[in-house]
Amino acid sequence: MGEAIVITSGKGGVGKTTTTANLGTALALQGKKVCLIDTDIGLRNLDVILGLENRIIYDLVDTLEGRCKVHQALVKDKRFEDLLFLLPAAQTADKNAVSPHQMKELVDGLKGEFDYVLIDCPAGIEQGYRNAVAGADKAIVVTTPEISAVRDADRIIGLLEQEAIESPKLIINRIRTQLMDRGETLDINEITTHLSLDLLGIIPDDDLVITSSNKGEPIVMEPSTQVAKAYRNIVRRIMGESVPLMSLEKQKPSLFSKFKALFSK
Amino acid sequence: MITKQLVYLKGAKEGLILHLDDQCGYDELIHAIQNRFMEGHIDEQVEIQISTGNRYCTNAQMTEILNEVEKALKVRVSKVRSDVVTIEELNQRLSESQSSTYIGIVRSGQMVEATGDLIVIGDVNPNARVQAGGSIYVLGKLKGMAHAGKDGDSNAVIGASFLSATHLSIGEVRETMTNERKELSEMPEMSCAYLNDEGDISVKRLQEIRIIRPELATFKGGS
Repeated sequence: MGEAIVITSGKGGVGKTTTTANLGTALALQGKKVCLIDTDIGLRNLDVILGLENRIIYDLVDTLEGRCKVHQALVKDKRFEDLLFLLPAAQTADKNAVSPHQMKELVDGLKGEFDYVLIDCPAGIEQGYRNAVAGADKAIVVTTPEISAVRDADRIIGLLEQEAIESPKLIINRIRTQLMDRGETLDINEITTHLSLDLLGIIPDDDLVITSSNKGEPIVMEPSTQVAKAYRNIVRRIMGESVPLMSLEKQKPSLFSKFKALFSK
Repeated sequence: MITKQLVYLKGAKEGLILHLDDQCGYDELIHAIQNRFMEGHIDEQVEIQISTGNRYCTNAQMTEILNEVEKALKVRVSKVRSDVVTIEELNQRLSESQSSTYIGIVRSGQMVEATGDLIVIGDVNPNARVQAGGSIYVLGKLKGMAHAGKDGDSNAVIGASFLSATHLSIGEVRETMTNERKELSEMPEMSCAYLNDEGDISVKRLQEIRIIRPELATFKGGS
């Protein structure tokens, strides 16, 4: 029996879909059987980021309304031998086409076949959110070091705590090291104490994330990048390993700069 | 057979008290009130108190008794004393005097409410709201909104280990804690907000509650 993890944030544009695509891909790279569900009905994106857009035949709503079997709607990612599947959202319906009860049944069914079912949650706290969390056992909250994203994360954590879901875990996305060092954005410590949530991982901001998304190849497939390492670390933590938090410093401070810092105080 | 007087006036330290029998039937009592005062007469403008003893009167009955007494005796009733309350009233009073404890973080969009005092063990995050009929004490950071004395108690205070609320309300007074409020940004730690004599919300060190609102202490005994 696998586990279902919902990836949510409250605010839009913080990287839920990118995170879902990358975590799913990284889990598949670790040899796990993964199913990704896009619940953003009407505004689907996950298929695009995975580069699976033109292989969609049926979608989530087709499945739930009985127009096809679940297996017919699952899109296989051919880069990973039978390990990574996507259940795409419908683009022509809206969030009310699905009920939380239906979602729970669907996810429960998929958990029997897959090691991990990752549910990509739409932004907001309405029907789409309720559908996405309905079948989840665990939750990952994605935020960025922006005050608006942190506020929305706080709201969503409050809502998640009312569900039958384990205490959510936090991913801080799009960290801009220079800004954080200068104290111009919230730092990691401030965010975790404010939200008082366990940190699952931090991901640096990188233009490569955008270029790779545009190519339909999740960035974890470029193992040399720092972002890929960050996502791979998170996946190892999800699988139960204890991996230290990666250091975002570009280089270790030299003896000379330490010396300089000593005198500039 | 000596008939027991159902209604009688008695002088006491507090003034004249009209005792109403609590064993007879209600109609009998009303009748007795009407008859009792046919006989005697007291000067006008006298204030008396009514004691209903162990009789429970509904609000409608109480109004009728008051009307009858004032009509028959031509006095003004200043106070009604009763030795009984309903369980409902008692619970209401009890919950108003009790403090409720909430353990956990009050997050954005959530509201925690108490009839009496409220103690929050955890933070109150921005856009979260805590309100209480009595005072509010936060063992953590109060960064959201707090309303103490929501039923009008202007003696209530809001105390927090770290007070950086966006909105503070006490009783009927509501204030936004803007940047101009120096006391908040200068000393957010261990602070309390209260209504000062001018009716505005002031912030002082938590330790000063002892002087500002000594009546809030309910602790008895000790040395």
